[in-house]
Formats: sequence, C-alpha cells, structure tokens
Amino acid sequence: MNVQAEHHDEVLLAKVEGRVDSSNSQDFERQLQGAIGEDVKAVVIDLGQLAYISSAGLRVVLLVAKTLGQRNVSISLCALSDPVQSVFEISGFNRIIQIYDTQADALAAAGK
Amino acid sequence: MSASRILRVPNRIEELAGVSEAVETLGREEAWAPDVSYGVVLALEELATNVVRHGGEEEGASEIEIEVVSTDEEVRVEVRDKGKPFDPFREAPAPNIDAALEDRKIGGLGVHIVKALMDEAFYRREGGRNHVTMVKRRS
Repeated sequence: MNVQAEHHDEVLLAKVEGRVDSSNSQDFERQLQGAIGEDVKAVVIDLGQLAYISSAGLRVVLLVAKTLGQRNVSISLCALSDPVQSVFEISGFNRIIQIYDTQADALAAAGK
Repeated sequence: MSASRILRVPNRIEELAGVSEAVETLGREEAWAPDVSYGVVLALEELATNVVRHGGEEEGASEIEIEVVSTDEEVRVEVRDKGKPFDPFREAPAPNIDAALEDRKIGGLGVHIVKALMDEAFYRREGGRNHVTMVKRRS
C-alpha cells in the first residue's frame, strides 16, 4: 500500500495504491494524514489503484472525512473499482462522502 | 471441480495477510469470479480480525483454524477459535449506516459487511470453540 500526494492548486489529490487491510491500516492512516497536511481547501482521494479495502481501511477514510469536515475542508473519492465501490455502498459511505467516477470530475468539482 | 484447504494461524493480525493470499490462490485455482474472491477474502478478514481483537485471548497465544471448501456451486468458509463464546451475527451491535457524517460512529462495520456480502452466515459453539460459517454462492 502506498499513498502519493499531488497538489492541484488548492486541491490536494491523494492517490492510494495496493491493499488496505487490518495489518496495514495504521500505516494507511499515517500516510493519508501526512499527505493531506494543513493548508488545503479540498481533498480528493483517488482509489483507482486500490485493489482491496476492508473495514479497517474504511475506518481510516471515515476518520479522515470527519476531521476534514470539522475543518470545513471538502473531501471526495474517485475512480473506485466495482468491488471497492460495493464495499463503500454496503457501509453507507456513498451517502456521506461524495464519490465521482473519474479523477477529472472530482478535481473539477473540488476546484470550484 | 472441488477443493478444500485448512489453514491454522496464530491469533495475530500480521498473520491474516498470509491467509488472504492463500485463499486468493485457491480462488484462482478454482476459477472463482472476481466478486466471489473479493467477498470471501474480505468476509474472512473481518471475522478473523474480530477473533484476534475481541476473542479475549492474548494475541499470539491461541490459534485460529480456517477451513475453505470450494465446489462448483458455492464457497464455504468456517472460522474456528477457542475464544470466549460469541455469536457475531446476534451479538455485534449494528452500525447506523444512515447517520450523517458528523454522527457516524467509527468502526463496527465488519460484521455488517460479512452479512451483506455472504449468502448465508451462521454461528455455533461446539467442542469449546466458536464456529462461524459463511457461504457465498458462485452464481
């Protein structure tokens, strides 16, 4: 698992690769929090290269979304594979976090 | 086509990635559809993680036994452990998946995901062990 950060003006794009499970979710949390940093207006998390996520990873996504919500920073997800999308839907996360089909859509919405 | 595997691992979180790999390999050999493989591996991780975290046994001091049976019709997984008696399908609190972001509680999703992904899921206590069985149909 790896998280890479890219800055697109005031939008922070975090690209997650690999598998997030109970054995590496703490590392995922550290990497994601580290990528986001302090001075951002919006965060887009690209899950296009995320092969697998379990509830341990969902916990981290929810934690980060709540923290950003308190700071009035918008958060969205994009490019979920079908199995990953279904795990987010089963957990009701699609109703509390905006999910876009493509990175371009997510960045365009976040930049407005 | 049918195949089965029995895996025995110490009750440690770090052991579970190896379990996932072994089950994915079995899935490739038995030509499971991608959603079947993803669901079985995920449900198994959720249950085994619960056993390690909440089974009441010191981490690494006990053993989890996992049996996977694959047939043309279904994949059947059983997780057995010597922890305290616990039926996850009756005793685990249900998460409120309709709550707003600020009200959503962190955690508690594992068993909910298992129930949603599997076609059958049930529990029995037998021979001093918890037996949690899950069935995923292949079509």
